Amino acid sequence: MPEVELRGIVKRFGKVTASRDIDLKIADGEYVTILGPSGCGKTTLIRMIAGIIEPSEGKVLIGGRDMEGVPIEERDIGYVFQNIALFPHLNALGNVSYGPVVRNKDRKEVEEIPRRYLELVKLLDRMKMFPSELSGGEQQKVSLARALASGAKILLLDEPLSALDARVRMDLRYELRRITKDLGLTVVHVTHDQEEAMTVSDRIVLMRNGRIVETNTPEMLYLEPKDLFTANFVGETNLLEGVVKEVLEDRSLVELRDGTVVEARPSKFKSGDAVVLSIRPERVHPASEGLGAVIRCITFMGTYIRISVETDSEDRVNFDVSTSEDRDYNIGDRVDLIWSKRSGILYPRPPEGVQEAIKLE
Amino acid sequence: MKRQDQLLEFVNRKGFRKGWSAFIIAFFLLFVVLPTVFVVTYAITDWDAISITVLSNPKTMAIIWDAIAVSFAIAVIVTVIDFFAGLPVAWMLVRKDFRGKELLDTLIDMPLAVPTAALGFSAAIFWVVDPSPVPLSLSIISSPFILIVLLHVVFSYPYMVRSLAAILEEIDETYETAGRTLGASRLTAARTITLPLFRAGLATGVILCFSRSMSETGGTLIALSTMSSLGIVAADSFATGPTLIADWRTLSFTDPSYTPALAFVSILLIILSLVLLVVLKLLIMKFHLPLRRVWPMPEKMLSRGIFPKLKDGSALFFLAMIVLVPSFFIFTYVLFATPQAAEWDSFIFALGYSFLLAGIVTIIDIALGIPFALYISKHREKRSSHVLDVLVNVPLIVPTAALGISLTLFWSNIGSLSGLEFFILVLAHVAFTYPLVVRNVAGAVEEIDPSYEETARTLGANPMQSFRRVLYPLVKGSILAGAIMAFTRSLGETGATQAILGNNAPTAPVFIVALVQSDAFFQAGLACIILIIVSYVFMLMLRYITRKRKEVI
Repeated sequence: MPEVELRGIVKRFGKVTASRDIDLKIADGEYVTILGPSGCGKTTLIRMIAGIIEPSEGKVLIGGRDMEGVPIEERDIGYVFQNIALFPHLNALGNVSYGPVVRNKDRKEVEEIPRRYLELVKLLDRMKMFPSELSGGEQQKVSLARALASGAKILLLDEPLSALDARVRMDLRYELRRITKDLGLTVVHVTHDQEEAMTVSDRIVLMRNGRIVETNTPEMLYLEPKDLFTANFVGETNLLEGVVKEVLEDRSLVELRDGTVVEARPSKFKSGDAVVLSIRPERVHPASEGLGAVIRCITFMGTYIRISVETDSEDRVNFDVSTSEDRDYNIGDRVDLIWSKRSGILYPRPPEGVQEAIKLE
Repeated sequence: MKRQDQLLEFVNRKGFRKGWSAFIIAFFLLFVVLPTVFVVTYAITDWDAISITVLSNPKTMAIIWDAIAVSFAIAVIVTVIDFFAGLPVAWMLVRKDFRGKELLDTLIDMPLAVPTAALGFSAAIFWVVDPSPVPLSLSIISSPFILIVLLHVVFSYPYMVRSLAAILEEIDETYETAGRTLGASRLTAARTITLPLFRAGLATGVILCFSRSMSETGGTLIALSTMSSLGIVAADSFATGPTLIADWRTLSFTDPSYTPALAFVSILLIILSLVLLVVLKLLIMKFHLPLRRVWPMPEKMLSRGIFPKLKDGSALFFLAMIVLVPSFFIFTYVLFATPQAAEWDSFIFALGYSFLLAGIVTIIDIALGIPFALYISKHREKRSSHVLDVLVNVPLIVPTAALGISLTLFWSNIGSLSGLEFFILVLAHVAFTYPLVVRNVAGAVEEIDPSYEETARTLGANPMQSFRRVLYPLVKGSILAGAIMAFTRSLGETGATQAILGNNAPTAPVFIVALVQSDAFFQAGLACIILIIVSYVFMLMLRYITRKRKEVI
């Protein structure tokens, strides 16, 4: 069974540690995304699964088998590269045929398999084209067909969409998920784009500084982030610093820097604990009373208007209002902000400071 | 300050720049290309002389054809050996990380700094069967053909490794990794993906090695002459194209009737080299190696276990035994030989003369080569620039001995040579070293994104400033590389020098050739060592100076 397991993986490059203590299990047929800012060690991780590099410590298991010493070509993985890496001297068909040819398939299969996968990515009519004659999106589709045609049951996608135009990227996202699900493949997809991760995955592994921060389904990662870094990196959020005043059964009360008391979910904090309150922009609403603030910036976004304010507690807060709303907002206006107590999530205030804790490196 | 501004303004004026470009191109055509191929005109003006003394003389014709056939055969064999022995080493240098990589990197270039005259002597002493062999020498070769092949491999090998490594550097390693994720073993991936991508770049290495072997004179002469002194008679009658020119040139000083034959050999060599350049280029571009087929099982087996180690090991063994040890065997020789008195005064004079010559030549190359390189790389869209680009290669391809004959004819047509020897030598050496500087600099300039210079211009720099502040720092390394190549090439050159001034030419390599030809082995060995050491010290100094500068900036 093509499940992938990483046990206690550590990878060091000289003095730099690119991965530390990675334990991860990917089930057969699961679509997992490894998400994280650039340089967090996510590519290193799938390169170790592929066998392009060997871990310094720990084990990679594929289908329960220890992969130590097993060369790339015997790991039965398909790899789609960020820079696409279609062989420039072969046309699309030649590229897709490469796997079956080097795997010594018989003549009939070498004829048939590549056509089947080119058909799957809807490029059969362009099979005589050379990579330089194809558009970026088409190239990446051919490279996907090439990886699939080699018969791999595990597909490793290394930022497969980041070299493409925004529009093509969107379309290909859905294609990727559709095709791999249809074929029942196990997929490990690496990306730094949280929106991409949300839309394609069964499960997201969020990484930072070579460590796994949190692993969960896209919904849970967005709605119930367990970590301040997750809350900030997946989706957008406002972070307000304060001190817990009181924790009740149905809510927590937090006192902000100016003394205003706001509500959040019930929590395990004790009164007097330093906390950070995370509240997503779409959950903040203007009202007749609440946290006082002055509008500093207004941005028209199409379907909504993003308003950025400075609160009386000296926090920066963003919130969105519908374009169709009647009320007129102007820079310098005073507004009062409220949110439902269920929307605010509390985290312990990190000793290194909030900015340090959400920094991308 | 003000005067400098005025000067700058003058230099930046459009008219001046046009005139300057014209001057640079005219220099190139008149002093580099024209003299190189001038000898061809001799075939038109003096066809009668050639047809009477050469074409109708079957014995002379036989000697000529033999020499040229030998030259070709040697060049082909050497190039093939270089490719197969050089590829694994180039691969190691680019694709692998191991301890001692830097050392390997330096070792490969070492034979380049040894003048070929010294190489020829060193390799001959190491290989040739000797009744009383020097300790540690192999002393196994008695065929002049094999000896010359071995010798030519020594000095062309670094060129092959360097150019293969340069192409390999350009080819993204991801392609190979991609091939392996698709199920290809290391060997299959390298053979079916990386090698086909090599093709265009392969031409450079092949042409360099081929023409170096075709053109080499000094080392070959010395090796053959050493061989015949060691009692191998076959070496006496053995000749390559360039050594034939050298021999006949010596004779023609006393017997002018050799001139038509000399001209004829030179013309043949020049024309054949140029034809070959074109043919090789086309062949490499058009020729499809049978690389599509795969043999998964055997190749898989060859990709692991002992085989890759065996391949790397034998490539390194080749490097050590065939290239490095013969290059530096001369040190062992001098250690064990019986010392003899030598005429140091004349050698020191020759050494000084050679350095002065090489120095002046390098300065001219840089002063006039950089603007030319800039011109051809900045006017890529023009046809004329393409033509110039091709023409630059001509002096590199043409055997220097033939070039020397051509130059002599060219300049003696204009006036008497006596008293102007140094001047003529400078021009001759400029002709065959100039392309080295131009090639290096043009290659580097083309690599650099023009937007850097454009940015500098938008920030208010004039063309001179943007060159000095932006482009120059970026291509400095290549300028240095070109200068070192030109300098060492000039320092070690024998063929053209001898073709112009004969055996009495006062340069160090010719001096060594003369010593070997008069059987003064010990003195020749010592002279070689001094030449090697002085060249090395000089190169190290140059490197040191330029490195220091870099830190200051």
